[in-house]
Amino acid sequence: MDIHFEKVEVRFEGRTVIHPLDLNLSGRRIGIIGLNGSGKTTLARMINGLVKPSSGRVTVNGFDTVAQEDEARGQSGFIFQNPQNQIILPLLREDIALGLKSRKLSKDVVAAAVDAVLDRFGIRHLGDRRAHELSGGELQLAALASVLVTAPKILVMDEPTNQLDIKNRNLVENTIRTLPEDVIVISHDLDLVAGLDRVLLVHDGRIAADGEPAAVIGEYRAMHGVHG
Amino acid sequence: MRSLHIDGDSRLHRMPAGLKLASLAVISLALFTINHPAVLAIAALVGLASHALLRISAAEIWRRMRPFVLIVVVVALFTGVFSGVTEGLVALFRLAALALFASLVTATTTTGDFIDVITRAAMPLERLGLLKASDVGLSIGLVIRFIPEILSRYEVIRDAHYARGLKPRPLSIIVPLIITTLRSADEIAAAIDARGIRSQK
Amino acid sequence: MATRDLVLSALFAAIIVALGLVPPIMLGFIPVPITAQSLGVMLAGVVLGAKRGTISVLLVLVLAAIGLPVLSGGRGGLAVFMAPTTGYLIGWVLAALTTGYLSQLLVSRSQAGFVQTVNFFVAALFGGVIVLYLCGISYLALVTGLGFSKAFMGSLAFIPGDVLKALIAALAGRAVMVGYPLLPQRA
Repeated sequence: MDIHFEKVEVRFEGRTVIHPLDLNLSGRRIGIIGLNGSGKTTLARMINGLVKPSSGRVTVNGFDTVAQEDEARGQSGFIFQNPQNQIILPLLREDIALGLKSRKLSKDVVAAAVDAVLDRFGIRHLGDRRAHELSGGELQLAALASVLVTAPKILVMDEPTNQLDIKNRNLVENTIRTLPEDVIVISHDLDLVAGLDRVLLVHDGRIAADGEPAAVIGEYRAMHGVHG
Repeated sequence: MRSLHIDGDSRLHRMPAGLKLASLAVISLALFTINHPAVLAIAALVGLASHALLRISAAEIWRRMRPFVLIVVVVALFTGVFSGVTEGLVALFRLAALALFASLVTATTTTGDFIDVITRAAMPLERLGLLKASDVGLSIGLVIRFIPEILSRYEVIRDAHYARGLKPRPLSIIVPLIITTLRSADEIAAAIDARGIRSQK
Repeated sequence: MATRDLVLSALFAAIIVALGLVPPIMLGFIPVPITAQSLGVMLAGVVLGAKRGTISVLLVLVLAAIGLPVLSGGRGGLAVFMAPTTGYLIGWVLAALTTGYLSQLLVSRSQAGFVQTVNFFVAALFGGVIVLYLCGISYLALVTGLGFSKAFMGSLAFIPGDVLKALIAALAGRAVMVGYPLLPQRA
């Protein structure tokens, strides 16, 4: 991945959510930690162009998220906290195929791509099931499949295991660990984040620490008086 | 949500959905120009017999027609009393035939085929810049996807009343149902945008 | 149309369908149970305004037309558009449009709560009762050849229930506006 934030600031309803920021993200796996409301989600959403900077610019693999919105968006996939809201068509297979619709592929090619991505997560048997019948963990794997079917180079995840029980959490975390795509993951799960290459600590709309997971996590704990 | 479509491989099933809809429109107009009770009765019988030919059981035909029986009979009786027996019979057989022919198209056309027809019909509107044709299928899918979620939410809110010993009231159910449902719109919209589903290319 | 507006319209359409599936509500002071689906049509107008409210009602009708049993009592399919009561379904669209338009016109956030509720009631009553019955009765009269006065007499019994729904829609519209304002405001 090759993501640049240049003098980026985000203001929302008169409040500064992200203070002026210069940041380069490269490498394989990056974690983002911080308190609720610290600005982590805003930071991550800018990578996909879901949030536009109030000033400055964000480029993803060379594409500006404002001027070249569609191209920049095509670089990354985004996984949200609540898997319930990510599957938008009743049948899983239809939903996964939806991301490919704009590419004008033949029906057979789409079906093959959908099967391939279902197989990748071991959920081919769920293809013809209705989304509301699936468990939280199944839905989150389905959400991963629906995003990765378009083969984005970077996967951005916003607390992907937050609403899952322990079994499904393990399932999704193990899946995240083995993904070949570049990954940016926001998480409150420090064990998950500790296994990544680099961690950012966001505090009050600023990057408070950035570097080796162990050091950054230590700082995060110290900052909030948690000793572990 | 189960569709009223019935699987099959009849000639009607294989006929293009657009043609079926056009035929239904022509037949309906014809039924309104005919004022002879016997002819209309034959039309209604043809509609009924076609259901039988599609091997739709009598019980299933009754299930499909039941919502219309009362209103059709009431209107026919009203007409009969005020305008004469012939007019009453005309109303009875005409309305029955209309419902039966419409039901035939519904039984032999899949939801997906209907969506394709609507999407194609929306293309001229897209050229006028009024809407995006592909949004039609997306919106229909969204509604079907979220009906069961809203029903479970309804049950949760109702049970929350019972848990506190309150009697569920229309207002105290509807208001939280609307607010919690519409609050999820932001994230669903973000999920659609993040996947580039409505992008121009 | 913004994606959020599309999603809001679709979610409200799902709410209208769900209101037709839940058991009819019994109210103490009128003897017939009332189905909540036509209440949903008024709510679409008061909560979402004219454009999104109308789209959500149109979506429900499209779902019904393509064979899904989304109308109260499990009705659906093209036959519902070939019935003497079809005018009421067409009326739903105009009811949501009128209710939404009047809500946008009459209600503003700076008004006192009571004034907002009264204005929502006026909007729902005009759109969801007067416009709805004008459509329904005209269609019934024309299609069946019954004539206006007889068609009107035949529909009279349902009007009190719908006036009551307009009141519920007004109270709910005001409560939703406090909790999660979505109604487009006048410039």
